[in-house]
Amino acid sequence: MSKKNKIYWFEGVTEKGVKSLLNEEDSKFRGLRPQRNRRVLVLLMALGLVLTSLGSYWPTLKTNMNLSDGTSVVVYSVTAILVIFIVLGGYSLLRISVRSIADAPNELLDERQIKVRDTSFRYAYFAMGYVVLGLLSLMLFGPELKMFQPEGNDGSYLMIATLFAFASLPSMVMAWRERDI
Amino acid sequence: MSRNPGEPVYNLIEVARVALGLTRQELADKVGVHYQTIGYLEREEYSPSLVLAIRIAKSLNQEVSELFSLTPLKKGK
Repeated sequence: MSKKNKIYWFEGVTEKGVKSLLNEEDSKFRGLRPQRNRRVLVLLMALGLVLTSLGSYWPTLKTNMNLSDGTSVVVYSVTAILVIFIVLGGYSLLRISVRSIADAPNELLDERQIKVRDTSFRYAYFAMGYVVLGLLSLMLFGPELKMFQPEGNDGSYLMIATLFAFASLPSMVMAWRERDI
Repeated sequence: MSRNPGEPVYNLIEVARVALGLTRQELADKVGVHYQTIGYLEREEYSPSLVLAIRIAKSLNQEVSELFSLTPLKKGK
């Protein structure tokens, strides 16, 4: 058996990685397969994205954090990094729960799986339209509403959350919608 | 006008597969799909492409017209 592990650079996956998920070779993630568990994961991911997008606002929310103080900056930064890592972890689990179908190249999927994936991308594309609309509205009206300030509240976390959303929405849609993947 | 996607394609895949003593996995390997796709087909929750329908019919030694129909098929013996 020729078994060179082909890397799909564009999709960011390897042949062995996708096949092992598709064939359930890794039994330790079996708990993520049921739709109910996948939906919980999607809700947690959505919460993580909201928290990340609010990252720029934490200092000016109820925390009264003063970012000119060194300790506050450290607490703020560590919390922000932690949330980002939690979201990254959630994204990985989400991909595992949908067996990486959302990122898999056509040649590793059968026609039903391709259809499932393409439908998810279609819905994710529509959902992203609303996310981008919201982001643009914030960018347009945020400064007027004094939502963005140069110190700690420059909207950068909003951009990070949007990028995460771009990457994870197809998997989120698939994990939510599909009964059995 | 396209066929209503909610309209199932009825089939006798399970009957023919069991008659040949094949498991879903074995049939899936023969036709080059995931075993769950065979389950979806047998439950008539997914309508196959013509290529897949021909492959399945060939693997089960049947004619496509015997195996698939747009009207409900009798599955009992």
